[in-house]
Amino acid sequence: MDKLRILHMYPAMLDLYGDSGNVEILSYRCRMRGIETEVVKHDLGDKDTDFSGVDIVYLGGGADFEQQLLADDLLGLKDNIRKAYENGVYFLMICGGYQLMGQYYKDSNGKKIPGLGLFDYYTVASTNKRERCIGNIVVETTLGAKKYKVIGFENHGGQTTNVKTPFGKVLAGNGNEFASSVEGYTEKNVTATYLHGPLLSKNPRLADHIISYCMTRKTGQPYKPEQINDKLEAECRKVLLERLLKK
Amino acid sequence: MSIKNTLTIWFGKFMVKALHLLGRDAGNAPGLILWEMNKDCLKAFKVDCPIIAVTGTNGKTSVTNYLNHIFESTGKKIITNKQGNNLDTGITSLLLQNCDMKGRVKADYLVLEIDESHVPVIFSKMKLETLVLLNFFRDQLDRNGEVETLILKVKKFLETFEGNVVLNADDPNVSRLGLANPKNKNIFYFSVEKYAGATEKPYEVGEGKFCPRCGEELKYDYYQYSHVGKFRCPKCGFGDVKPYVTAKNVKLDVPSIEFEGEEYKISHNSIYYVYNLSAVYAAASLYNFDKKVLHETFEKFEVNNGRLEKFNVDGSSLLVNLAKNPVGANMTLRVMNEHKGEKELLFVLNDNLADGHDVSWIWDINFSVFNDVTRVVTSGTRAYDIAIRIKCSGYDPDKIVVKPELDDAMVEFFKNKGDKYAIANYTAIQPTRAAIKRYKAKVKEGRENG
Repeated sequence: MDKLRILHMYPAMLDLYGDSGNVEILSYRCRMRGIETEVVKHDLGDKDTDFSGVDIVYLGGGADFEQQLLADDLLGLKDNIRKAYENGVYFLMICGGYQLMGQYYKDSNGKKIPGLGLFDYYTVASTNKRERCIGNIVVETTLGAKKYKVIGFENHGGQTTNVKTPFGKVLAGNGNEFASSVEGYTEKNVTATYLHGPLLSKNPRLADHIISYCMTRKTGQPYKPEQINDKLEAECRKVLLERLLKK
Repeated sequence: MSIKNTLTIWFGKFMVKALHLLGRDAGNAPGLILWEMNKDCLKAFKVDCPIIAVTGTNGKTSVTNYLNHIFESTGKKIITNKQGNNLDTGITSLLLQNCDMKGRVKADYLVLEIDESHVPVIFSKMKLETLVLLNFFRDQLDRNGEVETLILKVKKFLETFEGNVVLNADDPNVSRLGLANPKNKNIFYFSVEKYAGATEKPYEVGEGKFCPRCGEELKYDYYQYSHVGKFRCPKCGFGDVKPYVTAKNVKLDVPSIEFEGEEYKISHNSIYYVYNLSAVYAAASLYNFDKKVLHETFEKFEVNNGRLEKFNVDGSSLLVNLAKNPVGANMTLRVMNEHKGEKELLFVLNDNLADGHDVSWIWDINFSVFNDVTRVVTSGTRAYDIAIRIKCSGYDPDKIVVKPELDDAMVEFFKNKGDKYAIANYTAIQPTRAAIKRYKAKVKEGRENG
């Protein structure tokens, strides 16, 4: 049986807004296709985390306080993470995880937390703690050659700029900044976004896109996931898109 | 009384009267308007009786109703906000409806449930005698912010507070507040002895993982539910407190518990409910009630109102419980899973303003254990979200029926007779109760006509 290994980073600290659900959904959708998944964790202070043997690196969102606590630990992993990224490991990052991979994050107290610098973007939060982008959001992205509407919930004070290849176009909601036209960051093996919900719960094709990428990379054969029972997801998307895109 | 205060009261009373004349319930509106006009409007009231306030993430309404019942059983005149309305504006409206033209509030006690974030603002303007703190869980992040922010708000208030503080010794988020004011000698902890369902590892998502005093990871002997349990900081000893009241011999199968060597029959079999009763017992003990009143209350009193509320519908027995957050939902699931035999579940999920628009909290609910649940019906504005959540925990999607409209959901839910459980979130709970009652009435009518 094929097996995918998911590295869940700081699961105890980056676990706001049900973000751990993304790992549960990836595992579920793999299981339905007969792919085994193993979830390994990296916690603060772990010294021997294996980055080279994993297929997916996952970071969820956290509060300012937690992001500060883990910034040093994360910086210590810089070379390992860069190597994994260059080797084509898939990086899925939500909110705080997205911010931490950029140049830096300046939090609402004006405190600058250095990012890993894997990508060029950087994030500055408004010093007014009440100024946050909060609400339902719909983003149009491209998966393979097809357009796909991604539905989620954003809740961030940080305004991310200098994004060269955004994840998608904003159809409803804010995105990378207040009233932004774009959201997130993407590369062939990177999805970085502000979308909670959790992200993959209402966007099964995005989940399958990630699984396909990883399986193809792993086996060297193009992988096409078989259709599973997604009736609930299809109905959910229909209802929400109708509601959120209504002008 | 200053002219400003006099005018505040007069204007407020006028609004309440006008609304009554229009046949409306005053609700929150007069308080809201008064706060807009005068940020110090609470100071315009003259409250001479002691005030007891209950706060925390879960259980506020229940504990307030229990305390109110106990006080009233002994013939005391109580003013209370039984139905919630627990923000500054709600309390203002409540006082307006119960004061005279001079702003005097006549009662023996005020027993109030107060939203966690509103404790400081309300009691900087009115003298509080006793604060009961139940628990702090993750709740509506898009509305309330992070739990830590809330805890710090209450802590700041307690730093200068010298009245009675009744604290849950088994919740590190609450227990830590006993250290807020070292000068305050009136700190009273309640605790619950290890029960049969306690676990060595956390079973549900929790918050208090690190010592609030020194940052060390807390060590637990056991978890009662979520992060509530027997914990201790291995480095600084935090957590080592002597409870004022401990519920012992917790027997959920009877169900009964023991306080100070006396057995009390209780009416529900949930550990979460036992914690609520322990808070009630501790607070009541400060006011020296006859134990007979407590026995009577614990055995018979029901809050209903969607709090562990029992219904008999067309040959089915149903337990309905409000859940605004993962811990609340987990508690109902625990009761459901501990019940032997087949059962069905209804989950009603809304995403209105008062719920928080973000429904991602449902992913922190532990659905991995589902003992003999033969079918799930979901409803509400986010009926599909909760259905997907349950599906991804491994439950057969073909056993999930989605009916966004409540009346349709009831027809589906009661199609088969048997044991049933319903969970509804904040704005869903009253419509759910109403829909159950409508369905009952329809069945009865059908029988009479048929």
